[in-house]
Amino acid sequence: MKTELEAIQAEALEALKDVNSLDTLESLRIAYFGRKGKLTDVMKGMGQLSNEERPIIGKLGNEVRAALTEAFEAAKNALESQQQEQQLEAESIDITLPGRKPAYGKAHPVMQTLERIEAIFMQMGFQVVTGPEVETEHYNFDALNTPPDHPARDLHDTFYLTDGHLLRTHNSPVQIRAMENQKPPVRIIVPGKAYRVDYDVSHTPMFHQVEGLLVDKHVTFSELKGVLVSFARQMFGDQTQMRFRPHFFPFTEPSAEVDISCTMCRGKGCRSCGHTGWIEILGAGAVDPEVFRAVNYDPEEVTGFAFGMGVERIANLQFRIPDIRTFYENDLRFLHQF
Amino acid sequence: MNVTQNWLKTYIDFDFSPDKLAERLTMLGIEVESVKQLGAALEGVLVGKVDAIRPHPNADKLVLCQVDIGETDALQIVCGAPNVYEGMFAPVATIGTALPTGITIKRAKLRGEESHGMLCSEKELGISDEAAGLMELSSDLSIGSPLTEALGLDDVIFELEITPNRPDCLSMIGVAREIRAETGNDLKLPQVNGQEGEADINELTSVIIDDPDLCPRYAARVIRGVKVGESPAWLKQRLESIGVGVINNIVDITNFVLMEYGQPLHAFDYHKLTENRIVVRCAAENEQIKTLDEEERNLIPDMLVIADAEKPVALAGIMGGYDSEITEITCDVLLESANFQPSSVRATAKKLGIHTEASYRFERGADPEAVIPALDRAAQLIAELAGGTLCEDVIDVYPGRREPLQIQLRAERVNFILGTTLETNEIEQILSRLGFNVEASQPEENIYQITVPSFRGDITREIDLIEEIARVYGYDNIPTALPKGDIPIPAPNISVEVRRRIKHFLLGSGMMESVNYSFCHPNCFDKIRLAADNSLRDTLKLRNPLSPEMSILRTTLLPSLLENAQHNHNHQIDNITLFELSTVFIQGAEPARVAGILAGEIGEGVYGNPHRSPDFFDIKGTVEGVLDVCGTTDYVFKKTDDPTFHPGRNAEVLLENKRIGILGEAHPKVLESYELPYKAYLFELDLEALADAADFSKRFEPIPIYPSVLRDLAIVVDQEMQSDMPIEIIYSTGGELVESVRLFDVYVGDQVPEDKKSLAYTITYHSATETLTDTAVNDLHDKVVKQLNQELGAKLRM
Ligand SMILES: [Zn+2]
Repeated sequence: MKTELEAIQAEALEALKDVNSLDTLESLRIAYFGRKGKLTDVMKGMGQLSNEERPIIGKLGNEVRAALTEAFEAAKNALESQQQEQQLEAESIDITLPGRKPAYGKAHPVMQTLERIEAIFMQMGFQVVTGPEVETEHYNFDALNTPPDHPARDLHDTFYLTDGHLLRTHNSPVQIRAMENQKPPVRIIVPGKAYRVDYDVSHTPMFHQVEGLLVDKHVTFSELKGVLVSFARQMFGDQTQMRFRPHFFPFTEPSAEVDISCTMCRGKGCRSCGHTGWIEILGAGAVDPEVFRAVNYDPEEVTGFAFGMGVERIANLQFRIPDIRTFYENDLRFLHQF
Repeated sequence: MNVTQNWLKTYIDFDFSPDKLAERLTMLGIEVESVKQLGAALEGVLVGKVDAIRPHPNADKLVLCQVDIGETDALQIVCGAPNVYEGMFAPVATIGTALPTGITIKRAKLRGEESHGMLCSEKELGISDEAAGLMELSSDLSIGSPLTEALGLDDVIFELEITPNRPDCLSMIGVAREIRAETGNDLKLPQVNGQEGEADINELTSVIIDDPDLCPRYAARVIRGVKVGESPAWLKQRLESIGVGVINNIVDITNFVLMEYGQPLHAFDYHKLTENRIVVRCAAENEQIKTLDEEERNLIPDMLVIADAEKPVALAGIMGGYDSEITEITCDVLLESANFQPSSVRATAKKLGIHTEASYRFERGADPEAVIPALDRAAQLIAELAGGTLCEDVIDVYPGRREPLQIQLRAERVNFILGTTLETNEIEQILSRLGFNVEASQPEENIYQITVPSFRGDITREIDLIEEIARVYGYDNIPTALPKGDIPIPAPNISVEVRRRIKHFLLGSGMMESVNYSFCHPNCFDKIRLAADNSLRDTLKLRNPLSPEMSILRTTLLPSLLENAQHNHNHQIDNITLFELSTVFIQGAEPARVAGILAGEIGEGVYGNPHRSPDFFDIKGTVEGVLDVCGTTDYVFKKTDDPTFHPGRNAEVLLENKRIGILGEAHPKVLESYELPYKAYLFELDLEALADAADFSKRFEPIPIYPSVLRDLAIVVDQEMQSDMPIEIIYSTGGELVESVRLFDVYVGDQVPEDKKSLAYTITYHSATETLTDTAVNDLHDKVVKQLNQELGAKLRM
């Protein structure tokens, strides 16, 4: 019997080598371990053995059964892994097929820029204030120290309404309204639309401005510089240089035009900046005492500064759109670019 | 305005390079828009004289010239110009010269003869388009000298942008004064040594000012026996260098002095003035004048004119008259130098549409004290250059004479405003260099009495002086600091929050933001089929629109979005999903709106995510989302007869019975108006109403701990029945155990009788206090089914 058992083990192990599917493995298992299986058959003969032989053969029989069970288990695992691998391989897909992108919209490029500007000034404690776009001569000009025959009125080509109102040419009227409505300190920015009679590649009759105003007991020109330098570094990068040039605005004194170092050439001079290395981005200045008088603030008691910038201009430093009227065609091929 | 380096240098010394001068002027507030080196490209071009000409042995049309350029040996140059002759002075481009045309002159052999340079035409030198022959030079030029120097082309032109507050800088001397502020160097003003003749001007003419408010000063001189002719080369050169046209010596001199002093002058032909006298008065009713530009001008009584004894002979401060202008036969000249009130000149110039160098300066304010120096300077130049005799004395009527303005300046205030720590001597020095007289009136308190020079009419207040100090000290030298004051606490602003949330939602839903002009065409209301009496037609209108398309202010955002759709469709872009957040303009108010459009195709249109057409429920869902993010829940959709929309596919949005917006499928006729070949779905909501109704208060609700039980229910009802009616009954019957009801299918077809439809709902039953048993849910569900049958005749679909 011993020889028989050993032969069965050897034969079974040999047979396992050729098994290549779970089905044949199962038939083989039944051929050895089944009710009529070879191993079962041999072990049935145990009863005819002598008392001395029985434990020895019994032990051997168990060893053979254990070894074969383990071998069958291993073969099964191997076959299962193999089958899973085959299945996974069959499930392979073309990963270059398009992804199913959830729809997402994009804010208008001018609005994206405007919101960035807002966020920077809000961090510096400026509050967002808005006001009417249809204005009176008083708020748009007179209260801003620009009386009717002032040559500065030529600077703004104004849209007038048939009812005598006008479309604000800048957001400054909102500064006047804000000062009329609140006591100092005032620290506001005024984002919104303004209008001028202008229509060419670098002008649209409607455009966006962000104006700012800070009024308090003692606000200096130094602080105007500080706030704007801080803005420029955040908006255009911390290497940005700034230049303040004397200029004229009726509502500020001293007044400045403010340039940043050219974003294209980093100040070396190129075509974008007319070879000067500088690009004008905004106008600013200390609030003129006449403006304070127009809102019943005492210019001996408070000082302040104001600034204003064109959003399209700033947006276009980045986007470089040759004709800024493109902003308002709302061509989806354009809007999707930003 | 243009100035040139050489001209400026006649009034002040400076050794800035052109670029440096441009930078310094810019940093003083006189923006230099361009710097142009006149003769930069002509290096190597010399004045040459053609000594001798021989025929070219091998070419009929060429000659061999011996050209003297001031060196020992004359150059042999081959030339083909028809106008060359022996003794001619002409420009010679020597070997190595790079001409503006791009040609570099090399030693060359032309048909076998050596040529050591080139004789040039004006075109070859980039001076003009004249290419017919050689440029002929004046024979008094020195042979061999650089052409640029000989012609005054060795100059630099600065194009300046002068702000409206600085008319004093609209002149060479004015700009020289700014350079004085920068350098501290002295001004070199023209010396006038009034050599006068016998006749007394007072016997020859008189000046009467009828309206002294409009003409604060009028001065005149008479020069007799002039010979009108061409100006000398230097004078022509000066004027041409800054782009002023040359006319004749008398007019050229007045223009020259205008540019020099910024004081406009006018020369009359003395004998063409009736009674040879001047009256400054307002125009009479129906008076006319033919101006120098040969236009007949109709005058109105508030226009100031210069008249003789009977008629206007000039528009005061704007333009002279044609009939009294200087001509070749003029021999006696009456020269005017005056000062006019800015707003009067401005109004007249504007009404007549004439803008001249003179009106430009008077509108901004000329210096009344420049009247006499400029007059004397011009009179003397006329006497010198046109050979006349100056009559004795000047007529100077000066009713508007004013004492120089004095302003108190506190040194502390300068530093207070600027944030600087300037010393008093720095302040004194800056102001003195600018021409202010500085006197310490209260020295112990650093308070000054500043006398403003007459040419600085823009300086009237202490703050103006502070700006002057800042400007000359240099804005770049002012330290940079951050604000020290308290940050004001802003008031809460619910509209801003509502806008922000809506925008986030719409972007998240895949819509693109559009921004449109506030203007629109008045026909847009017809295009969206508004009723004739619709209040949206009551618009604000522009008095000076750019075009009919931009002539009114929009009262609704929908036409703009439809135009956007049209634009995109015309460019083959048909996945139209756009929204806009903007104010609109109704009489007396600017309410904010949000509107959107879905049209064409939605979806990416790629494998796995195909295009589909949007429908009513896409736009409805979008609006529901907008309402949800505002925290509003009590809204109702109700069909309307709004003519913009498909009559069966639209709804107004009601909040507490108040209409806050509309949505739906655009009416086919609207689509036709905008040439859209597919359906478009629109919505527009009133943001103010949304802000009023917005509720952002949130309370925690416990997460359910007991399981929910789901039951599906399909019922057959009449086709007209709205799908929300069964839902109301389910809620009211099921009470608080019904957590939610969801419509998941609507079926019309063979499986149900005609005129009927099947609605299928999923009801979620849930109790907050216990686990619901099957029996309990079944009982409740049966009750619901019965109730639906009783109230709506709904039958369970098997
Ligand atoms: Zn650059």
